[in-house]
Amino acid sequence: MQLKPKMAANPPGVRRALAAAAAGLLAGGHAKAQEAPVDAPTTTIDSAVLVYHEVNRVQAIEPEVNLSHKLNEDSTFNFGITADSLTGATPLGAVPSTLSQSYVRPYKVIPLGTPVTVTSASGGSTVVLVPPPTGAKTQTLAASTVVPPNTYPFDHAFHDERIAGHLGWEQALTQNFKVDGGIAYSKEHDYRSESAHIGLSQDFNGHNTTLSAAVNYESDLSFPIGGTPTPLTPMNGNWKGPDASLHEVDALVGVTQVMSRRWLATLSYSYSDAHGYQTDPYKIISVVDSVSGQPNEQLYESRPDQRRKQSIFFDNKIHLTTDVISASLRGYKDDWGIKSLTADLRYRWQIGMNYYIEPHLRYYTQGAADFFHYYLVSGEAIPQYASADTRLAKFHAQTYGVKFGIPFDETSELNLRVEYYDQHGNGSPAGAIGQLQQQNLFPDLKAYTLLLGYTFAF
Amino acid sequence: MKAVGTLWIAIALAGSGGCAGLGAKPWEHDLLAEHAMQVSAYPIEAGMDDHVYFSKEASSGGRSFAGGGCGCN
Repeated sequence: MQLKPKMAANPPGVRRALAAAAAGLLAGGHAKAQEAPVDAPTTTIDSAVLVYHEVNRVQAIEPEVNLSHKLNEDSTFNFGITADSLTGATPLGAVPSTLSQSYVRPYKVIPLGTPVTVTSASGGSTVVLVPPPTGAKTQTLAASTVVPPNTYPFDHAFHDERIAGHLGWEQALTQNFKVDGGIAYSKEHDYRSESAHIGLSQDFNGHNTTLSAAVNYESDLSFPIGGTPTPLTPMNGNWKGPDASLHEVDALVGVTQVMSRRWLATLSYSYSDAHGYQTDPYKIISVVDSVSGQPNEQLYESRPDQRRKQSIFFDNKIHLTTDVISASLRGYKDDWGIKSLTADLRYRWQIGMNYYIEPHLRYYTQGAADFFHYYLVSGEAIPQYASADTRLAKFHAQTYGVKFGIPFDETSELNLRVEYYDQHGNGSPAGAIGQLQQQNLFPDLKAYTLLLGYTFAF
Repeated sequence: MKAVGTLWIAIALAGSGGCAGLGAKPWEHDLLAEHAMQVSAYPIEAGMDDHVYFSKEASSGGRSFAGGGCGCN
Protein backbone atom coordinates (compact mmCIF):
# COMPACT_ATOMS: atom_id res chain seq x y z
CA MET A 1 0.00 0.00 0.00
CA GLN A 2 1.37 3.33 -0.73
CA LEU A 3 -0.24 4.54 2.41
CA LYS A 4 1.99 6.89 4.14
CA PRO A 5 2.70 4.47 6.83
CA LYS A 6 5.12 3.05 4.48
CA MET A 7 7.42 5.07 6.37
CA ALA A 8 10.20 3.38 7.95
CA ALA A 9 9.02 0.40 6.31
CA ASN A 10 9.86 1.03 2.84
CA PRO A 11 13.01 2.82 2.89
CA PRO A 12 13.68 2.29 -0.71
CA GLY A 13 16.93 1.44 -2.20
CA VAL A 14 16.32 4.34 -4.48
CA ARG A 15 16.54 6.92 -1.79
CA ARG A 16 19.43 5.14 -0.22
CA ALA A 17 21.30 4.96 -3.46
CA LEU A 18 20.74 8.60 -4.19
CA ALA A 19 21.76 9.58 -0.70
CA ALA A 20 24.96 7.64 -1.04
CA ALA A 21 25.65 9.01 -4.48
CA ALA A 22 24.97 12.59 -3.53
CA ALA A 23 26.87 12.30 -0.30
CA GLY A 24 29.73 10.68 -2.10
CA LEU A 25 29.96 13.58 -4.46
CA LEU A 26 29.73 16.10 -1.70
CA ALA A 27 32.37 14.25 0.21
CA GLY A 28 34.91 15.63 -2.18
CA GLY A 29 38.51 14.65 -2.17
CA HIS A 30 39.61 15.93 1.16
CA ALA A 31 40.84 12.51 2.12
CA LYS A 32 42.84 11.96 -0.99
CA ALA A 33 45.94 13.22 0.65
CA GLN A 34 45.95 9.90 2.41
CA GLU A 35 47.26 7.46 -0.13
CA ALA A 36 45.68 4.06 0.16
CA PRO A 37 48.02 1.24 1.09
CA VAL A 38 48.84 -1.12 -1.74
CA ASP A 39 47.11 -4.00 0.03
CA ALA A 40 44.01 -1.98 0.98
CA PRO A 41 40.70 -3.90 0.74
CA THR A 42 38.89 -3.52 -2.57
CA THR A 43 35.45 -4.79 -1.61
CA THR A 44 33.22 -3.44 1.13
CA ILE A 45 29.99 -5.03 2.34
CA ASP A 46 27.71 -2.68 4.20
CA SER A 47 24.64 -4.18 5.84
CA ALA A 48 21.91 -3.18 8.26
CA VAL A 49 18.56 -4.27 9.64
CA LEU A 50 15.99 -1.73 10.72
CA VAL A 51 13.18 -2.63 13.08
CA TYR A 52 10.55 0.09 13.25
CA HIS A 53 7.72 0.22 15.75
CA GLU A 54 5.04 2.88 15.94
CA VAL A 55 2.94 2.86 19.07
CA ASN A 56 -0.46 1.45 18.04
CA ARG A 57 0.34 1.88 14.36
CA VAL A 58 2.75 0.57 11.76
CA GLN A 59 5.39 -2.07 12.43
CA ALA A 60 8.16 -2.69 9.93
CA ILE A 61 11.34 -4.60 9.40
CA GLU A 62 13.85 -3.88 6.70
CA PRO A 63 17.18 -5.53 5.90
CA GLU A 64 19.59 -4.00 3.42
CA VAL A 65 22.92 -5.00 1.92
CA ASN A 66 25.21 -2.85 -0.20
CA LEU A 67 28.35 -4.00 -1.96
CA SER A 68 31.05 -1.67 -3.20
CA HIS A 69 33.99 -2.95 -5.23
CA LYS A 70 36.99 -0.95 -6.33
CA LEU A 71 37.94 -2.21 -9.77
CA ASN A 72 41.10 -0.13 -9.96
CA GLU A 73 42.50 3.10 -8.63
CA ASP A 74 39.88 5.16 -10.48
CA SER A 75 36.76 3.00 -10.81
CA THR A 76 34.29 1.78 -8.22
CA PHE A 77 31.21 -0.34 -8.79
CA ASN A 78 28.39 -0.57 -6.27
CA PHE A 79 25.25 -2.59 -5.90
CA GLY A 80 22.58 -2.75 -3.24
CA ILE A 81 19.37 -4.54 -2.46
CA THR A 82 16.77 -4.08 0.22
CA ALA A 83 13.41 -5.51 1.18
CA ASP A 84 10.86 -4.50 3.74
CA SER A 85 7.61 -5.59 5.22
CA LEU A 86 5.01 -3.44 6.97
CA THR A 87 1.83 -4.13 8.83
CA GLY A 88 -0.36 -2.15 11.15
CA ALA A 89 -2.72 0.79 11.25
CA THR A 90 -2.63 4.06 9.38
CA PRO A 91 -4.82 7.16 9.74
CA LEU A 92 -7.55 7.44 7.14
CA GLY A 93 -7.77 11.21 7.33
CA ALA A 94 -11.37 11.28 8.56
CA VAL A 95 -12.37 12.99 11.79
CA PRO A 96 -13.49 11.04 14.85
CA SER A 97 -17.12 11.23 15.94
CA THR A 98 -19.23 10.69 19.03
CA LEU A 99 -21.10 8.18 16.86
CA SER A 100 -19.97 4.92 15.37
CA GLN A 101 -18.67 5.24 11.79
CA SER A 102 -18.15 2.75 9.00
CA TYR A 103 -15.74 2.90 6.08
CA VAL A 104 -15.73 0.81 2.95
CA ARG A 105 -13.01 0.33 0.36
CA PRO A 106 -12.52 -1.95 -2.66
CA TYR A 107 -11.05 -5.31 -1.77
CA LYS A 108 -11.20 -7.66 -4.75
CA VAL A 109 -12.79 -8.13 -8.20
CA ILE A 110 -14.38 -11.51 -8.95
CA PRO A 111 -16.36 -12.88 -11.94
CA LEU A 112 -20.04 -12.11 -11.86
CA GLY A 113 -22.04 -14.87 -10.26
CA THR A 114 -19.22 -16.22 -8.09
CA PRO A 115 -20.67 -17.32 -4.75
CA VAL A 116 -19.68 -14.93 -2.01
CA THR A 117 -19.42 -15.70 1.65
CA VAL A 118 -19.33 -12.77 4.01
CA THR A 119 -16.15 -13.13 6.04
CA SER A 120 -13.94 -11.23 8.35
CA ALA A 121 -10.89 -9.73 6.68
CA SER A 122 -7.72 -8.65 8.41
CA GLY A 123 -7.80 -5.68 10.73
CA GLY A 124 -11.34 -6.31 11.93
CA SER A 125 -13.01 -5.44 8.64
CA THR A 126 -15.77 -7.42 6.97
CA VAL A 127 -15.88 -8.40 3.32
CA VAL A 128 -19.13 -7.39 1.64
CA LEU A 129 -20.44 -7.60 -1.91
CA VAL A 130 -20.94 -4.39 -3.87
CA PRO A 131 -24.02 -4.58 -6.13
CA PRO A 132 -22.69 -4.69 -9.72
CA PRO A 133 -23.96 -2.18 -12.28
CA THR A 134 -26.28 -3.43 -15.03
CA GLY A 135 -24.39 -5.34 -17.71
CA ALA A 136 -21.23 -5.76 -15.66
CA LYS A 137 -19.23 -8.97 -16.13
CA THR A 138 -17.48 -8.72 -12.78
CA GLN A 139 -18.47 -7.83 -9.28
CA THR A 140 -16.53 -6.16 -6.53
CA LEU A 141 -15.89 -7.24 -3.01
CA ALA A 142 -15.34 -4.48 -0.51
CA ALA A 143 -13.85 -4.37 2.99
CA SER A 144 -16.06 -2.60 5.50
CA THR A 145 -14.58 -1.33 8.77
CA VAL A 146 -16.51 0.00 11.76
CA VAL A 147 -14.86 2.69 13.89
CA PRO A 148 -16.18 2.97 17.47
CA PRO A 149 -17.36 6.34 18.84
CA ASN A 150 -14.71 8.87 19.88
CA THR A 151 -11.97 6.90 18.14
CA TYR A 152 -9.63 8.30 15.54
CA PRO A 153 -10.33 6.42 12.28
CA PHE A 154 -7.48 4.14 11.23
CA ASP A 155 -7.18 1.59 8.47
CA HIS A 156 -6.10 -1.43 10.49
CA ALA A 157 -5.57 -3.63 7.48
CA PHE A 158 -2.52 -1.78 6.22
CA HIS A 159 0.25 -3.99 4.93
CA ASP A 160 2.96 -3.77 2.36
CA GLU A 161 6.02 -5.51 1.08
CA ARG A 162 8.72 -3.99 -0.98
CA ILE A 163 11.87 -4.89 -2.79
CA ALA A 164 14.35 -2.43 -4.20
CA GLY A 165 17.79 -2.37 -5.72
CA HIS A 166 20.33 -0.01 -7.18
CA LEU A 167 23.38 -0.21 -9.38
CA GLY A 168 26.06 2.47 -9.60
CA TRP A 169 29.45 3.38 -10.98
CA GLU A 170 31.97 5.98 -9.92
CA GLN A 171 34.86 7.02 -12.14
CA ALA A 172 37.73 9.40 -11.47
CA LEU A 173 38.61 11.01 -14.81
CA THR A 174 41.47 13.08 -13.45
CA GLN A 175 43.02 13.51 -10.05
CA ASN A 176 40.50 16.25 -9.30
CA PHE A 177 37.46 15.39 -11.43
CA LYS A 178 35.00 12.59 -10.77
CA VAL A 179 31.78 11.41 -12.36
CA ASP A 180 29.26 8.91 -11.11
CA GLY A 181 25.99 7.47 -12.30
CA GLY A 182 23.47 4.83 -11.46
CA ILE A 183 20.02 3.38 -11.76
CA ALA A 184 17.50 2.29 -9.16
CA TYR A 185 14.29 0.31 -9.05
CA SER A 186 11.74 -0.43 -6.39
CA LYS A 187 8.47 -2.32 -6.42
CA GLU A 188 5.58 -2.59 -4.03
CA HIS A 189 2.29 -4.27 -4.64
CA ASP A 190 0.73 -0.92 -5.51
CA TYR A 191 3.67 1.25 -6.55
CA ARG A 192 6.70 1.07 -8.82
CA SER A 193 9.61 3.46 -9.15
CA GLU A 194 12.46 3.68 -11.66
CA SER A 195 15.18 6.27 -11.62
CA ALA A 196 18.57 7.20 -13.01
CA HIS A 197 21.11 9.77 -11.87
CA ILE A 198 24.43 11.28 -12.86
CA GLY A 199 26.77 13.47 -10.89
CA LEU A 200 30.02 15.40 -11.28
CA SER A 201 32.50 16.72 -8.75
CA GLN A 202 35.60 18.86 -9.07
CA ASP A 203 38.26 19.44 -6.43
CA PHE A 204 40.12 22.73 -5.99
CA ASN A 205 42.63 24.24 -3.64
CA GLY A 206 44.62 21.12 -3.02
CA HIS A 207 41.56 18.98 -2.36
CA ASN A 208 40.32 21.46 0.21
CA THR A 209 37.31 22.55 -1.84
CA THR A 210 34.94 20.37 -3.83
CA LEU A 211 32.18 21.63 -6.09
CA SER A 212 29.57 19.08 -7.04
CA ALA A 213 26.40 18.80 -9.06
CA ALA A 214 24.01 15.94 -9.66
CA VAL A 215 20.71 15.35 -11.37
CA ASN A 216 18.19 12.55 -10.98
CA TYR A 217 15.18 11.56 -13.04
CA GLU A 218 12.47 9.39 -11.52
CA SER A 219 9.44 7.81 -13.12
CA ASP A 220 6.82 6.27 -10.84
CA LEU A 221 3.61 4.37 -11.40
CA SER A 222 0.85 4.11 -8.82
CA PHE A 223 -1.67 1.29 -9.03
CA PRO A 224 -3.65 1.44 -5.79
CA ILE A 225 -5.68 -1.48 -4.51
CA GLY A 226 -9.15 -0.85 -5.87
CA GLY A 227 -7.96 1.54 -8.58
CA THR A 228 -7.21 5.25 -8.51
CA PRO A 229 -10.13 7.21 -7.05
CA THR A 230 -11.38 10.47 -8.52
CA PRO A 231 -10.38 13.22 -6.07
CA LEU A 232 -13.12 14.69 -3.91
CA THR A 233 -15.66 12.01 -4.75
CA PRO A 234 -17.34 9.99 -1.98
CA MET A 235 -15.47 7.01 -0.61
CA ASN A 236 -17.10 3.76 -1.67
CA GLY A 237 -16.38 0.12 -2.37
CA ASN A 238 -16.54 0.34 -6.16
CA TRP A 239 -13.49 -0.25 -8.32
CA LYS A 240 -11.84 3.02 -9.36
CA GLY A 241 -9.84 4.46 -12.22
CA PRO A 242 -6.65 3.37 -14.02
CA ASP A 243 -3.02 3.57 -12.90
CA ALA A 244 -1.48 6.99 -12.36
CA SER A 245 2.06 8.16 -13.13
CA LEU A 246 4.48 10.64 -11.61
CA HIS A 247 7.63 12.12 -13.12
CA GLU A 248 10.19 13.95 -11.08
CA VAL A 249 13.48 15.72 -11.78
CA ASP A 250 15.82 16.49 -8.92
CA ALA A 251 18.97 18.57 -9.04
CA LEU A 252 21.57 19.15 -6.37
CA VAL A 253 24.60 21.45 -6.25
CA GLY A 254 26.97 21.82 -3.38
CA VAL A 255 30.34 22.81 -2.07
CA THR A 256 32.36 20.95 0.51
CA GLN A 257 35.11 22.91 2.18
CA VAL A 258 37.89 21.86 4.50
CA MET A 259 37.73 24.73 6.96
CA SER A 260 40.68 23.54 9.00
CA ARG A 261 42.49 20.38 10.01
CA ARG A 262 39.52 19.58 12.28
CA TRP A 263 36.50 21.05 10.49
CA LEU A 264 34.73 19.96 7.34
CA ALA A 265 31.68 21.92 6.11
CA THR A 266 29.19 21.21 3.33
CA LEU A 267 26.62 23.56 1.89
CA SER A 268 24.18 22.25 -0.70
CA TYR A 269 21.05 23.32 -2.49
CA SER A 270 18.54 20.92 -3.98
CA TYR A 271 15.61 21.53 -6.27
CA SER A 272 12.87 19.11 -7.21
CA ASP A 273 10.11 19.42 -9.78
CA ALA A 274 7.43 16.74 -9.78
CA HIS A 275 4.55 16.37 -12.22
CA GLY A 276 1.80 13.81 -12.01
CA TYR A 277 -0.23 11.95 -9.46
CA GLN A 278 0.74 13.01 -5.94
CA THR A 279 -2.52 12.41 -4.15
CA ASP A 280 -2.67 9.61 -1.60
CA PRO A 281 -5.32 7.29 -3.09
CA TYR A 282 -6.19 5.82 0.31
CA LYS A 283 -6.69 9.08 2.16
CA ILE A 284 -10.05 10.69 2.75
CA ILE A 285 -11.32 13.94 4.22
CA SER A 286 -14.55 14.36 6.15
CA VAL A 287 -17.32 16.79 5.24
CA VAL A 288 -18.97 17.69 8.53
CA ASP A 289 -22.27 19.24 9.49
CA SER A 290 -21.87 22.98 10.00
CA VAL A 291 -23.53 22.88 13.42
CA SER A 292 -23.06 19.46 15.00
CA GLY A 293 -19.64 18.71 13.49
CA GLN A 294 -20.75 15.16 12.72
CA PRO A 295 -19.26 13.80 9.48
CA ASN A 296 -21.88 13.62 6.76
CA GLU A 297 -19.65 12.38 4.01
CA GLN A 298 -16.11 11.11 3.36
CA LEU A 299 -14.38 12.30 0.19
CA TYR A 300 -11.16 11.07 -1.39
CA GLU A 301 -8.49 13.72 -0.90
CA SER A 302 -7.07 15.90 -3.67
CA ARG A 303 -3.54 17.29 -4.12
CA PRO A 304 -2.00 19.37 -6.92
CA ASP A 305 -0.33 17.53 -9.79
CA GLN A 306 2.72 19.74 -9.59
CA ARG A 307 5.12 20.28 -6.73
CA ARG A 308 8.36 22.26 -6.66
CA LYS A 309 10.58 21.71 -3.66
CA GLN A 310 13.72 23.55 -2.58
CA SER A 311 16.05 22.98 0.30
CA ILE A 312 19.34 24.28 1.62
CA PHE A 313 21.45 21.98 3.74
CA PHE A 314 24.42 23.00 5.87
CA ASP A 315 26.41 20.19 7.42
CA ASN A 316 29.46 20.31 9.65
CA LYS A 317 31.83 17.73 11.03
CA ILE A 318 34.18 18.87 13.74
CA HIS A 319 36.96 16.67 15.10
CA LEU A 320 37.79 17.36 18.74
CA THR A 321 40.70 15.67 20.42
CA THR A 322 39.20 12.24 19.88
CA ASP A 323 35.46 12.88 19.62
CA VAL A 324 33.55 14.07 16.55
CA ILE A 325 30.60 16.45 16.40
CA SER A 326 28.18 16.31 13.46
CA ALA A 327 25.79 19.24 13.24
CA SER A 328 23.46 20.17 10.40
CA LEU A 329 20.66 22.55 9.53
CA ARG A 330 18.16 22.25 6.70
CA GLY A 331 15.73 24.83 5.45
CA TYR A 332 12.96 23.68 3.13
CA LYS A 333 10.04 25.15 1.24
CA ASP A 334 7.76 24.12 -1.58
CA ASP A 335 4.97 25.58 -3.66
CA TRP A 336 2.36 23.68 -1.67
CA GLY A 337 3.02 26.28 1.01
CA ILE A 338 5.04 24.07 3.31
CA LYS A 339 8.11 25.46 5.05
CA SER A 340 10.25 23.54 7.48
CA LEU A 341 13.44 23.68 9.51
CA THR A 342 15.47 20.69 10.66
CA ALA A 343 18.33 20.72 13.17
CA ASP A 344 20.42 17.63 13.79
CA LEU A 345 23.21 17.10 16.31
CA ARG A 346 25.36 14.04 17.01
CA TYR A 347 28.27 13.69 19.39
CA ARG A 348 30.54 10.73 18.78
CA TRP A 349 32.15 10.05 22.10
CA GLN A 350 35.19 7.86 21.59
CA ILE A 351 35.77 5.54 24.53
CA GLY A 352 39.32 4.31 24.34
CA MET A 353 40.39 2.80 21.05
CA ASN A 354 37.69 0.17 20.73
CA TYR A 355 34.25 1.71 21.31
CA TYR A 356 32.21 4.82 20.82
CA ILE A 357 28.85 6.06 22.00
CA GLU A 358 26.98 8.62 19.92
CA PRO A 359 23.98 10.47 21.37
CA HIS A 360 21.70 12.01 18.75
CA LEU A 361 19.17 14.85 18.91
CA ARG A 362 16.98 16.06 16.06
CA TYR A 363 14.37 18.78 16.02
CA TYR A 364 11.95 19.32 13.16
CA THR A 365 9.19 21.86 12.65
CA GLN A 366 6.96 22.46 9.65
CA GLY A 367 4.09 24.67 8.59
CA ALA A 368 0.92 23.38 6.96
CA ALA A 369 0.25 22.96 3.26
CA ASP A 370 -2.09 25.57 1.77
CA PHE A 371 -4.72 22.92 1.14
CA PHE A 372 -4.54 21.15 4.47
CA HIS A 373 -7.88 21.07 6.27
CA TYR A 374 -8.82 19.06 9.32
CA TYR A 375 -12.22 18.68 7.63
CA LEU A 376 -14.52 20.39 5.15
CA VAL A 377 -17.89 21.87 6.06
CA SER A 378 -21.23 21.00 4.49
CA GLY A 379 -22.78 23.87 2.58
CA GLU A 380 -19.44 25.51 1.86
CA ALA A 381 -17.72 25.40 -1.51
CA ILE A 382 -15.46 22.38 -1.94
CA PRO A 383 -11.90 23.60 -2.73
CA GLN A 384 -9.99 22.27 -5.72
CA TYR A 385 -7.41 20.70 -3.43
CA ALA A 386 -8.01 19.39 0.06
CA SER A 387 -6.22 16.91 2.29
CA ALA A 388 -6.59 15.99 5.95
CA ASP A 389 -3.33 14.05 5.95
CA THR A 390 -1.66 15.27 9.15
CA ARG A 391 1.74 14.90 7.52
CA LEU A 392 0.75 18.06 5.66
CA ALA A 393 -0.33 19.82 8.86
CA LYS A 394 1.63 22.15 11.09
CA PHE A 395 3.58 20.13 13.67
CA HIS A 396 6.92 19.62 15.30
CA ALA A 397 8.87 16.50 16.13
CA GLN A 398 11.87 15.42 18.18
CA THR A 399 14.18 12.46 17.83
CA TYR A 400 16.28 11.16 20.71
CA GLY A 401 18.77 8.42 20.01
CA VAL A 402 21.97 6.75 20.98
CA LYS A 403 24.33 4.61 18.97
CA PHE A 404 26.93 2.20 20.24
CA GLY A 405 29.70 1.26 17.85
CA ILE A 406 32.61 -1.16 17.82
CA PRO A 407 35.03 -0.29 15.01
CA PHE A 408 37.33 -3.23 14.35
CA ASP A 409 39.55 -1.24 12.02
CA GLU A 410 39.23 1.56 9.46
CA THR A 411 36.90 -0.50 7.27
CA SER A 412 34.98 -2.78 9.64
CA GLU A 413 32.43 -1.91 12.27
CA LEU A 414 29.50 -3.31 14.21
CA ASN A 415 26.99 -0.83 15.59
CA LEU A 416 23.59 -0.72 17.25
CA ARG A 417 21.33 2.31 17.42
CA VAL A 418 18.12 2.92 19.34
CA GLU A 419 15.93 5.97 18.69
CA TYR A 420 12.64 7.44 19.78
CA TYR A 421 10.59 9.76 17.54
CA ASP A 422 7.81 11.93 18.93
CA GLN A 423 5.55 14.03 16.70
CA HIS A 424 3.08 16.61 18.03
CA GLY A 425 0.49 18.72 16.27
CA ASN A 426 -2.56 20.71 17.22
CA GLY A 427 -5.38 18.27 17.95
CA SER A 428 -7.79 21.01 19.02
CA PRO A 429 -7.79 23.61 16.25
CA ALA A 430 -9.49 26.93 16.86
CA GLY A 431 -13.03 27.14 15.54
CA ALA A 432 -13.69 23.40 15.70
CA ILE A 433 -17.37 22.76 15.10
CA GLY A 434 -19.76 21.01 17.50
CA GLN A 435 -18.62 17.58 18.61
CA LEU A 436 -15.20 18.12 17.04
CA GLN A 437 -14.33 20.36 19.98
CA GLN A 438 -14.12 17.29 22.18
CA GLN A 439 -12.10 15.21 19.73
CA ASN A 440 -8.36 14.96 19.16
CA LEU A 441 -7.93 15.85 15.48
CA PHE A 442 -4.16 15.27 15.38
CA PRO A 443 -3.20 11.78 16.48
CA ASP A 444 0.27 12.08 17.99
CA LEU A 445 2.88 9.74 16.60
CA LYS A 446 5.45 7.96 18.72
CA ALA A 447 7.89 5.52 17.16
CA TYR A 448 10.88 3.45 18.22
CA THR A 449 13.60 2.27 15.88
CA LEU A 450 16.31 -0.30 16.35
CA LEU A 451 19.08 -0.32 13.79
CA LEU A 452 21.79 -2.96 13.69
CA GLY A 453 24.62 -2.35 11.24
CA TYR A 454 27.68 -4.32 10.21
CA THR A 455 30.34 -3.28 7.72
CA PHE A 456 33.42 -5.16 6.66
CA ALA A 457 35.91 -5.07 3.81
CA PHE A 458 38.21 -7.55 2.16
CA MET B 1 15.14 32.40 -5.08
CA LYS B 2 17.21 34.92 -3.19
CA ALA B 3 18.72 32.12 -1.17
CA VAL B 4 19.71 30.37 -4.38
CA GLY B 5 21.59 33.43 -5.57
CA THR B 6 23.40 33.69 -2.27
CA LEU B 7 24.41 30.07 -2.50
CA TRP B 8 25.83 30.47 -5.97
CA ILE B 9 27.82 33.48 -4.86
CA ALA B 10 29.25 31.40 -2.05
CA ILE B 11 30.12 28.62 -4.45
CA ALA B 12 31.73 31.02 -6.87
CA LEU B 13 33.83 32.55 -4.13
CA ALA B 14 34.94 29.14 -2.99
CA GLY B 15 35.81 28.02 -6.47
CA SER B 16 37.74 31.19 -7.27
CA GLY B 17 39.93 30.88 -4.25
CA GLY B 18 37.77 32.83 -1.87
CA CYS B 19 38.37 30.06 0.60
CA ALA B 20 42.10 30.14 0.05
CA GLY B 21 42.57 31.14 3.65
CA LEU B 22 40.73 28.05 4.74
CA GLY B 23 41.69 24.45 4.39
CA ALA B 24 44.50 22.25 5.54
CA LYS B 25 47.86 21.30 4.14
CA PRO B 26 48.15 17.80 2.68
CA TRP B 27 50.01 16.57 5.74
CA GLU B 28 47.20 17.92 7.92
CA HIS B 29 44.48 15.73 6.45
CA ASP B 30 45.02 12.95 8.97
CA LEU B 31 41.93 13.69 11.06
CA LEU B 32 39.81 14.45 8.00
CA ALA B 33 40.67 11.04 6.61
CA GLU B 34 39.18 9.23 9.58
CA HIS B 35 36.00 7.32 8.89
CA ALA B 36 33.91 9.35 11.31
CA MET B 37 34.81 12.55 9.45
CA GLN B 38 33.51 11.36 6.08
CA VAL B 39 30.41 13.11 4.76
CA SER B 40 28.92 9.75 3.92
CA ALA B 41 30.33 7.69 6.75
CA TYR B 42 27.14 5.62 7.27
CA PRO B 43 25.17 5.70 4.00
CA ILE B 44 22.65 2.97 4.88
CA GLU B 45 21.81 4.62 8.17
CA ALA B 46 21.47 8.01 6.50
CA GLY B 47 19.29 6.58 3.76
CA MET B 48 17.01 4.78 6.18
CA ASP B 49 16.66 7.92 8.27
CA ASP B 50 15.87 10.04 5.23
CA HIS B 51 13.20 7.64 4.14
CA VAL B 52 11.56 7.35 7.54
CA TYR B 53 11.35 11.10 7.81
CA PHE B 54 10.23 11.41 4.19
CA SER B 55 7.29 9.15 4.92
CA LYS B 56 6.28 10.89 8.16
CA GLU B 57 6.97 14.52 7.37
CA ALA B 58 6.30 16.79 4.40
CA SER B 59 9.92 17.75 3.71
CA SER B 60 12.64 16.00 1.78
CA GLY B 61 15.92 16.75 0.09
CA GLY B 62 18.98 18.53 1.36
CA ARG B 63 21.47 15.82 2.11
CA SER B 64 20.33 13.89 -0.94
CA PHE B 65 17.79 14.13 -3.73
CA ALA B 66 14.22 14.97 -2.84
CA GLY B 67 12.66 12.01 -4.61
CA GLY B 68 11.56 9.01 -2.66
CA GLY B 69 11.15 6.10 -4.98
CA CYS B 70 8.02 5.08 -3.17
CA GLY B 71 4.41 6.06 -2.85
CA CYS B 72 4.63 6.80 0.80
CA ASN B 73 4.20 10.52 0.66
